Amino acid sequence: MFDMTRGDNGIISLKGRFDASQIEAARAFFERITESCTLDFGELVYISSAGLGLLFATQKRLVDAGEAMKLVKLNPHIREIFQIAGFDNIFEIG
Amino acid sequence: MGRSAGAASAGGSLNLTTASRHFKREIASLGGIFAFLAEFAVGNGISEGAAFKLNLVVEELFTNMVRHNEGGGDHIELSLERSDVMLHLELTDVDVEPFDPATVEEVPVGAGIEARRPGGLGIHLVRTMVDSLDYSYEPANREMKISVTTTLE
Repeated sequence: MFDMTRGDNGIISLKGRFDASQIEAARAFFERITESCTLDFGELVYISSAGLGLLFATQKRLVDAGEAMKLVKLNPHIREIFQIAGFDNIFEIG
Repeated sequence: MGRSAGAASAGGSLNLTTASRHFKREIASLGGIFAFLAEFAVGNGISEGAAFKLNLVVEELFTNMVRHNEGGGDHIELSLERSDVMLHLELTDVDVEPFDPATVEEVPVGAGIEARRPGGLGIHLVRTMVDSLDYSYEPANREMKISVTTTLE
């Protein structure tokens, strides 16, 4: 299961498992992000290169427009994946 | 298909547990694959961190096979074998063209976003997270095998 919601405070919360089977639904959601925002990973338990690829494409589009996503509350396993992928150079991670 | 568990070596010092299953060649198989991996991890006392790594490695290799071998056989076989300190997994794909993951270009992970391009990240993650990644191809029956060995935490 994977879920994405935008709260009243503008923070986007990701929940569950962000794997290759979730990409089409996730893409439709991420394509609607047009301004700087924070992504809360507190309830995200898993991510693969499919999810990373979509995050990367979204960040690249935003950075080109002078905006950016910030990521918070990564669990230790996901944080390690971000480091291996070199995504700590691409995202501000809180 | 099926699952067996128990001591294996004549000397009795090596505890081996194995499992194997076929999965339909489609991304939608991931749910069943994760359930299979979870069952194997719980049954073998595999740590949360090692189970996370196992999920990731299998997803990356399986989805690569699905995407690069669209005309392949209906199913892909996933086999797992756990010894005391090591985990070995193998994916077997039949009726496919060769695709050696070693030919995938390295990802410039130290680069900033301007210099990065999409793609290749899955194989990069696998290469980084496992102890060995081996590939073989049998032209006679067009069978490809990818084998991975990783140390359990």
